[in-house]
Amino acid sequence: MSLMTMIVKMSEGLGKTCAIFFLTLLFSLPLGMIVALLRMSKNRVVSSVTRFFISVLRGTPLMLQLLAVTYGPYYLFGANVARNKLIPVVIAFAINYAAYFAEIYRGGIESIPIGQYEAAEVLGYSKVQTFMRIILPQVVKRIMPSITNEVVTLVKDTSMAFTVSYQEMFTIGKQIANSQTSFMPFVVAGVFYYVFNDVVDYVMGRIEKRLDYYR
Amino acid sequence: MKKMLSILLALALVLALCACGAAAPAPAADTPADAPAAADAPAAADTPAEVPAEKTKFIMGIDPEYPPFSYLGDDGNYTGFDVEVCQAACDLLGWELEIFGVNWDQKLVQLDSMECDCVWSGMTILDSMTEAGYVISAPYYDNTQVLMVKADSGYKSSADLAGKVVAVQLGTSGEALLNGDLADLASTFDSVLTCDSFLKCFTELAGNAVDAVFVDLPVASSYAAEHEGYAIINENLGAEQYGIAFRSGDAELCASIEGAVQALVENGTYAAIAENYPDIVNNLLFLNG
Amino acid sequence: MTENTSVSPSILEIRGLQKSFSSLSVLKDISLSVDRGNVMSIIGPSGSGKSTLLRCASFLETADGGDILYDGQYAVHDGVYAPKASLNHFRTRFGLVFQNFNLFPHYSVMKNISEAPVLHGQNKEEVRERAVQLLKKMGLEGKENSYPCQLSGGQQQRVAIARALAMQPEILYFDEPTSALDPELTGEVLKVIRQLADENMTMVIVTHEMAFARAVSEWVIFMDGGVIVEEGEPEQFFGDPSQERTRQFLRNYQQ
Repeated sequence: MSLMTMIVKMSEGLGKTCAIFFLTLLFSLPLGMIVALLRMSKNRVVSSVTRFFISVLRGTPLMLQLLAVTYGPYYLFGANVARNKLIPVVIAFAINYAAYFAEIYRGGIESIPIGQYEAAEVLGYSKVQTFMRIILPQVVKRIMPSITNEVVTLVKDTSMAFTVSYQEMFTIGKQIANSQTSFMPFVVAGVFYYVFNDVVDYVMGRIEKRLDYYR
Repeated sequence: MKKMLSILLALALVLALCACGAAAPAPAADTPADAPAAADAPAAADTPAEVPAEKTKFIMGIDPEYPPFSYLGDDGNYTGFDVEVCQAACDLLGWELEIFGVNWDQKLVQLDSMECDCVWSGMTILDSMTEAGYVISAPYYDNTQVLMVKADSGYKSSADLAGKVVAVQLGTSGEALLNGDLADLASTFDSVLTCDSFLKCFTELAGNAVDAVFVDLPVASSYAAEHEGYAIINENLGAEQYGIAFRSGDAELCASIEGAVQALVENGTYAAIAENYPDIVNNLLFLNG
Repeated sequence: MTENTSVSPSILEIRGLQKSFSSLSVLKDISLSVDRGNVMSIIGPSGSGKSTLLRCASFLETADGGDILYDGQYAVHDGVYAPKASLNHFRTRFGLVFQNFNLFPHYSVMKNISEAPVLHGQNKEEVRERAVQLLKKMGLEGKENSYPCQLSGGQQQRVAIARALAMQPEILYFDEPTSALDPELTGEVLKVIRQLADENMTMVIVTHEMAFARAVSEWVIFMDGGVIVEEGEPEQFFGDPSQERTRQFLRNYQQ
């Protein structure tokens, strides 16, 4: 198999890799905020349940969570295994990343000085207005570096979808490597991931720069 | 100034590492006679006919998830037909056996990188292996690939699976067949789902995510014997043979193992081990050949 | 106690206010009233409860007991707060200037000043025009598009004052407005406060600037240990205080 054929075949899987990447971000970024707010809830039960949820998701391997989401329903209830593996893959990724994002959000929210809330309260901002207009924009700026970190990790983590046989780029690479007894597909995969992350770095860098207008 | 110092330190470190790398084999070569205890597996290959006083360590590479040939037993130790035969052969040779679980789709890379001395685990002999220079033992098992389906699915032949989804394990001969000799058959399927373990293939089948699993006959029959509701389509889709893979240049090692296994066949040990594995006994070439 | 719902000369009236943090009693039975157009200064050592008093008056702290009335209407009656909606209405009557400015760092000066009134439904153009006027008054002409981080402490505090004024409050609270500033920057802030006093803005100022308090106030209150030790008109208060504790405090400040 020529290098070109290899790259073409793996590029086909790259679409699925991108699907995992973008769908995971689409769901986990807002879900993480909900989890963070539940985690900071004044209701003890809600916050401890959420804390437990976060600790399980952060304390167990993503690979295990992928298996649990994909095959768990079958082993527990005899339910059918999803034919379209993108669904369980995105569910597992989104939940896992939401847990990480939640802790980043929480750190960011707790780092905002109380004076910002008080100033907004005295000026008559409602709770929602205070959060959306005053707190959240400042949180976003503060957490951007940590978010970039997670997003870069997510690019590499997409390769874990192979554990549930989702034919993304790395799975295809492994198949080619195996049938061709060649190490080349792994080199190609490495280059793909590197370039992907270069793009991510560039985009995130642009966003950080746009938030640089204030300190 | 500080920068200079750190650069110097880094340089010194690199030099030291190079020196170690170069120097390491030297003392071993200098002192084989006065330090026989130091001679372990790689050194044994250098020393000619004399058998070293220490036991030779032989590392067997297996797929730990490939019953009944090699798997993790109920007691937590690796077992299986291949493992038992290898243990008996090592006992005969006076070697110490160590078992190494390989990542199946990386098995040859791991063999090359000395992580194990052989791959011996229901491994299908492929032409590509000999072409790549690996030393392959005489085949000891005749394997056949079959399609396993759910008993109530009503599929009777491979033709019935046109437009259906078929699972196969990554890195198995089944996968190689579907991409090679059986590509025509594979093209009639809706798609082929490549899983990284047999358990996942079977779970996909159990959970109705795929319609059939393309798998080695003995694996299929042992699974069907243990689990209700599965059927094997009576159609042999690729006759293959199992052998043991060694690194190129390890022909001597291969011969030692082959000789020991032959001795086990002659003294009856081989047949005794095989009795524990009724599913595969009919396919063993040394017993039926 | 009589219900007083008729028009009152006092914009703010506090009666028997009590506040404690766990076991520590910070405000013990504080009563005061501020008449329209007057300036009241509150002085006292740190921990005397003067900031807590302002924070209770602006609902940032919840009082444990007593009354808070705005324009003769109860915001807090016997430690019981009015419903949320009417508290929001009371909030429009006062503004608060913080020690640490608490400007919104991600907003331009203009947005810092104009967003709250616009959110309250005021006409955007009118608010912007008012903001420009206020900035001019604060000596910050042309700073509309600057961000807080580009301004000095004194400029930031003046923006904060403009922000509070943009809400058109009836009374303005200052919580140690110059304490976070370098000494050479306090003057510019005190100058604009004095200017507001000249325009008869009603204000309550918690401060350590004795000379300023003396010059600008109609009434001075000295607090210590959660009680009002002494109060009076500035000339009498600073010239001839009646309490030994007051004299001692003022002596420390004159040195």
